[in-house]
Amino acid sequence: MLIAAAIVFLGGCGQQEDEVSKRTENIDFVAEKPAPVEVKKPVPVANPINTVKREGILPTKLEIPAIEVKSEILHLGLTETGEMAVPDNGEEVSWFSHGYQPGENGRAVIAGHVDDLEGPAIFWDLSKLKAGDEILVAEGDKQLRFKVYKMESVPLDNADLSSIFGYQSSPELVLITCAGTYDYSRGTREERLVVYASLIEE
Amino acid sequence: MKKGLALFAVALVLFLSFGMGVSADSHTAKVRVVHASPDAPAVDVYVNGDATLENVPFKADSGYLEVPAGTHNVEVFATGTEYAEGAGVLQADLTVEAGKAYTVAAANTVDALEFVVAEDSMEVTEGKTKIRVGHLSPDAPAVDVGLIGGDAVFSGAEFPGITDYTELDPGTYDLEIRLPDGTQVLPLEGTELAADTVYSVFAVNNADALEVIALVDYEAAASPDGMPTTGLGTPDQSNAPWMLMLGTLALFGASAVVWKKRFQE
Repeated sequence: MLIAAAIVFLGGCGQQEDEVSKRTENIDFVAEKPAPVEVKKPVPVANPINTVKREGILPTKLEIPAIEVKSEILHLGLTETGEMAVPDNGEEVSWFSHGYQPGENGRAVIAGHVDDLEGPAIFWDLSKLKAGDEILVAEGDKQLRFKVYKMESVPLDNADLSSIFGYQSSPELVLITCAGTYDYSRGTREERLVVYASLIEE
Repeated sequence: MKKGLALFAVALVLFLSFGMGVSADSHTAKVRVVHASPDAPAVDVYVNGDATLENVPFKADSGYLEVPAGTHNVEVFATGTEYAEGAGVLQADLTVEAGKAYTVAAANTVDALEFVVAEDSMEVTEGKTKIRVGHLSPDAPAVDVGLIGGDAVFSGAEFPGITDYTELDPGTYDLEIRLPDGTQVLPLEGTELAADTVYSVFAVNNADALEVIALVDYEAAASPDGMPTTGLGTPDQSNAPWMLMLGTLALFGASAVVWKKRFQE
C-alpha cells in the first residue's frame, strides 16, 4: 500500500493543477455558424495577375485592447530543435518570421509567454479573449485589425503545425501561449492555447 | 521494490502517451467557387441546402472554404431567388477528398450553365513559380498562351478546360493569349510571377470582350517542427522538489517494510 502511495506521489508530480491550467480548462470556442460570405466584385485592372497577391507587413507592435496587452514584436525563427522560437522574457512577443506576414494570405503566428519566473506574463489573459475581440498589429503607421473567431487548447502532441502555420486564401493572425497543466518530465505545459483571428477589411 | 518500479514505469508510459491522436483538420477539403458565366446574373450558392455564398457576381471568386471530405450537394440560384431544393439553375454532387483543394467554376452561357471542376495545387518547388490557365470563354476558339514573339507556355487550351500546372522561374514575362496561327487575342505584358506562389489564370467573358481573372491557389511559407515553449515559469517551484523527495522517501520506506517482512519470515 505504501508503494502504491509512493507511485501516486511520483506520478502526481508530472501534472499539477495551478492557475494557468484552471484558466485554460474548457476554453475552446468557434464563432457562431458563419453567415453566407458576401463576395465582392473584383476591381478591373490592366493586368490582374500583378495585383492578385496581397502585401503583408513586418509587424513591430501588438495591441489587444480587450485584455490590455501592448507589446513590441520581435522577429524570431526556429530554435535549435526546430520549434518556433520565443522571446527570453515575459514582456515581449515574437512573430514567426519564416512564415506568413500579417496581411498576406495565410496564418501569421505570434507567440508570447503565459508566465515567467515572477508570475503572470504578456499572454496571461489570452484565455479571456472572446469571439469578436480585436487584435491590432502594426509596422510603423501601417496598422492591420484582426477579429478573433476561434480559440482552442491543443495537446502538444496533437498540434497540427501545417494547419496552425498554414496557408489560407485570406489573411489570418494566430496567437499562441502555453496552457494546461505543467509537465515536469518535459519541462513545459501539456497544451497550447491557440487563438485564430481574421483580417477586418478596411 | 522491483515490482514498484515496473508499475511506476507503466504509469509514466501511460501518462506520456495520454492524448495522442490525429487532429480534426485533416478531414476537410478546400473548395472555392468562381463565377465565370458572362451573361448569368450574380448568384447565391447553397451547399447541402445551406446558404454558403451570397451575391457572387461575374468574375468573382469566393476564396477557399473549408468543407468536410465527402460528397456535397452544390446548388446555384440567381441572387434574390427563393431557395427550393432541386430548383437551382445549376446543381451537382461534388465529391472532395480530405487535404485537397478544388476550384469549382460556374461556366458557359446562362442557358447552358455547367460546372468546371479542377483540383488545385497546394505545393510549389522552393524558389519557383507555378501557373496554369483555364479557358472559360464559351465562344472563343482554342488558344495558346505564350511569350510575345516567343514560345508558347500553354498550347491548345479549349473551352471548357483548365490546363495542368507548369513551373517557371519567377520573374516578369511579356505574355499574350493568341490563336494557334499567332494572331494576338489579349496582351498580358509585364506579368510578374512571384516565387513560391501558385497561380490560376482564367480567360473569361465572350470572345469579343475576352479578359482574364487571376487567382492565387497557394503561397508557400515555412512552418516549424514544434510549437513554441511559451511559459518561463514552473508552478509551485518550491513545492515540486519537496514532492519528489517525499515520493522517494515513501518508496524507501515501502522497501524497508518489505525487507523487514522478509527478515521476519
